[in-house]
Amino acid sequence: MTGKAPALDAERGSIELLERASELSVLGAALDRVRKSSHGQIVLLGGEAGAGKTSLLRRFREDCAQDVRILSGGCEPLFTPHPLGPLLAVAEDVGGELDSVVESGVMPHEVVSALVRELRAHAPTVFVLEDVHWADEATLDVLRLLALRIENVPALVVATYRDDELERAQPLRTVLGELATAPSAERLKLALLSPDAVAELAAPYAADAGELYRKTGGNPFFVAEVLAARADEIPETVRDAVFARASRLSADAKRLLEAVAIVPSHTEPWLLEALAGDAIVALDECLSSGMLNAEVEGLAFRHELARLAVDESIAPSRKTALHRQALASLAAASGRHHDLARLAHHAEAAGDEEAVLRYAPEAAAGAAKLGAHREAVAQYERALRAGNGLSPDERAHLLEQCAASCLVTDQYDKGIDALQQALALRRVSGDVLGEGDAQRRLSEFLWCPGRTDESEQLAREAVAVLERLPAGPELGMAYANLATVLSAATRTDEAIAWGTRAIELAKQLGETSAAIHALVTVAACEEDYEKLKPTVTRALDAGLTGQASRAYAVLAGSAVQTHRNSVAREAVEIGSAFCSERGIELSGLYLRAHRARLELHEGNWTEAADAAAWVLRTPRTSTTPRILALAVIGLLRARRGDPAPREPLDEAWALAEPTGELERLGVVAAALAEVAWLEGDAEGVDSATRFAFELALERRSGWMVGELGAWRRRAGLPADAGESATGPYALLLDGRPLEAAAQWKELGCPYEAALALGDADEDEPLREALEEMQRLDAPVPAALIARRLRERGVRGVPRGPRAATQRNPGGLTPREHEVLTLVAEGMRNAEIAARLVVSERTVDHHVAAVFRKLDVCTRADAAATAVRLGVVAQDR
Amino acid sequence: MPRYMVERVFPEGLHVPSGAEGQELCRGVVSRNAGEGVTWVHSYVSEDRSKSFCVYDGPSPEAIRKTAGHNDLPIDHITQVRVLDPYFYG
Repeated sequence: MTGKAPALDAERGSIELLERASELSVLGAALDRVRKSSHGQIVLLGGEAGAGKTSLLRRFREDCAQDVRILSGGCEPLFTPHPLGPLLAVAEDVGGELDSVVESGVMPHEVVSALVRELRAHAPTVFVLEDVHWADEATLDVLRLLALRIENVPALVVATYRDDELERAQPLRTVLGELATAPSAERLKLALLSPDAVAELAAPYAADAGELYRKTGGNPFFVAEVLAARADEIPETVRDAVFARASRLSADAKRLLEAVAIVPSHTEPWLLEALAGDAIVALDECLSSGMLNAEVEGLAFRHELARLAVDESIAPSRKTALHRQALASLAAASGRHHDLARLAHHAEAAGDEEAVLRYAPEAAAGAAKLGAHREAVAQYERALRAGNGLSPDERAHLLEQCAASCLVTDQYDKGIDALQQALALRRVSGDVLGEGDAQRRLSEFLWCPGRTDESEQLAREAVAVLERLPAGPELGMAYANLATVLSAATRTDEAIAWGTRAIELAKQLGETSAAIHALVTVAACEEDYEKLKPTVTRALDAGLTGQASRAYAVLAGSAVQTHRNSVAREAVEIGSAFCSERGIELSGLYLRAHRARLELHEGNWTEAADAAAWVLRTPRTSTTPRILALAVIGLLRARRGDPAPREPLDEAWALAEPTGELERLGVVAAALAEVAWLEGDAEGVDSATRFAFELALERRSGWMVGELGAWRRRAGLPADAGESATGPYALLLDGRPLEAAAQWKELGCPYEAALALGDADEDEPLREALEEMQRLDAPVPAALIARRLRERGVRGVPRGPRAATQRNPGGLTPREHEVLTLVAEGMRNAEIAARLVVSERTVDHHVAAVFRKLDVCTRADAAATAVRLGVVAQDR
Repeated sequence: MPRYMVERVFPEGLHVPSGAEGQELCRGVVSRNAGEGVTWVHSYVSEDRSKSFCVYDGPSPEAIRKTAGHNDLPIDHITQVRVLDPYFYG
């Protein structure tokens, strides 16, 4: 472990750890809970660099956890960290299955399974991951997946991070956001020291406490360093503090420090010997000065800030020589972890281009294989930076590989730039096949951020270029891509035609990937779920994770749009778990957006808001998920009477409108129409829907025609849809609201059903609509319906809807309420699934949510609570 | 960060226990809010304790509703507000 805080001045022995009593007691209490209940707990320990996270953990070990096994791994500040880096050390410690699993380079979810088994075998364990702001994606995935299962793992997991580096650690921010909602996760923030505490530390040194506090801001590390430097004057910065301390060392010791400083994290003893040469004799001097710590893994600076300060101060020629030596030593070592990321790091710092090209692409490919695509991109970029001697073909190949990892991790600008360069290189070298294929890749890329015109043009060019050559798999992919681009533009017939060509060609060539891509697109165009579902299985069987995740997302999106809730629910649940386990961010994000709409359709406002907020928190360039999530938020605000419903919708419209695609702008237009209608603004409904309605009619998109037409009709506007509208909308437009409402109920869409009832011209349906709107917590439409009832002379209509006071007991959603009722009847999940016509997995999900909300652990307790809350009658 | 006035209706009346229990209750609310980036500034309660007007800073109405759910507090209406100072105009 790297010591960083005031508690470990080697010259004076340990000093008191100040102002950390409450944090220690939180950790102690968490460990106690794990001990007693065997339910695990995660503590996320944040604080700025030097706040004393490591010191706190050390004290925690000494005070509370001496009888407990502790596994500890630290992340390293490499520009491109080694995938699963911190777990390598832990696995080596533990040995056995975990070691062989981590060693074999498998996906994070398999690592977690092995880790869980290991943690269960030795309960309780404290599992520490330090400095996760430097963690690679695979390690973050492990942390995230472990958090999902922690309830049933008897371990206290502590992850430390620098909260002042979160800006630069976007993947960690996403993970923290996700963990924040987990019931077994707790966030601790280490505050800086108070002036009193600084004064207490300064007293033995007779230093000016006020001045010390002013210059250090109460950062424990700064305080300790400044005090240890024993300078007459307080140095301005910690760098000065570090140098002041180093300046008292011998020349050999300084050379040794430099050798340690160029190696991020730890320097193994054998490596240090090679780097430091004779200066190794000064090791004891460095250790006793407190600058370095000797740890199991090797030697390390007491604090990363100190390592950086020393590293920056090394003369350039000496630094290059040191990195060159490190590279040679690491390359010669035939250790079991031949660490490509480390080799590439030193190769670049040594200015050895040949070595960079030897290690970086391999490190990149390895990282991509583990799903750590950000690391892969960084390694490819490193290779490209060093690649002056590459041939155009080699360079284009690296650029395309880099772009593939960019696509997965939403780095569009970078990916588009790489593919444009690759395309130019392919043209220069006269590689027609490569040119066509690069055009197709670029077309795929441009679609996501909404550059639809360019995307379609390139899709067509790719087909034209590749058709000049004998038909091959690249042409198959080009057909499939053109089909997808056209399908997104709702040019259904054309899309099906190109998709069919792709399928036929792929069949001839035995090309599974292009075939599945095209099958998914065609089936989605035809709204044919019988066809769409098996494509998921086929993709899974063929091991095509990318195609499988896309198939889940397309299936879910299409099912949501056509209100097939149980199909959508299953695709969302299974697909999300699939993407989450494999770190597939993009499809995962789409699925989250589809989930938001699905929850909205089912009347689960809270869940809809959660899913939409999650999408909006994730900064990605792909506009479609964001548009869908913004539409959900806008509708929720409008229905609940919350402030600023138009704000998200205006943003969504600005994103959707330039694409000209019905798939994106139709959803926003319908939401804008609903907001206008709720505000009693018929003109607003007209201007929101006019363009999209025409487009939907032109593209014969039945559901969209129906939805937009229904709003126009409600606002008293012309809505001639001919025979185009689909589903309950056709009945609505035909002036049969009661039949439409019945169909909506059958589809499991209570809000749409209530809206349809509200279109009726009779008292009874209107009363039912009002009750339903109140039950759904939709006070704004409820007020509209109440007003219509009063205008019709109906008495006893409540003035203001009191939806909030009629919330379901225990805060359950309507669906959870239903599931709880069945649980209380003694039904098993499989039976409930059959009754509700949903998958068993979906029921598992609902039951877990019910247990969490009711704070119970068994079905019997849930049933008892259900009786107490009046959810079910006593005698049932 | 936007500021919101949250109106809550308590048909049974709002009862905050006094002493340590009440302190614990309010602290719990504050710490659960922190997870969503929501800050409870202060509240006004009607004399009959059937209605409260709570001032919150938060990133969005959804975050306000989410924390209300965590804290098992009802919401009647959310209004986005800003300060109007009677002495600002001199």
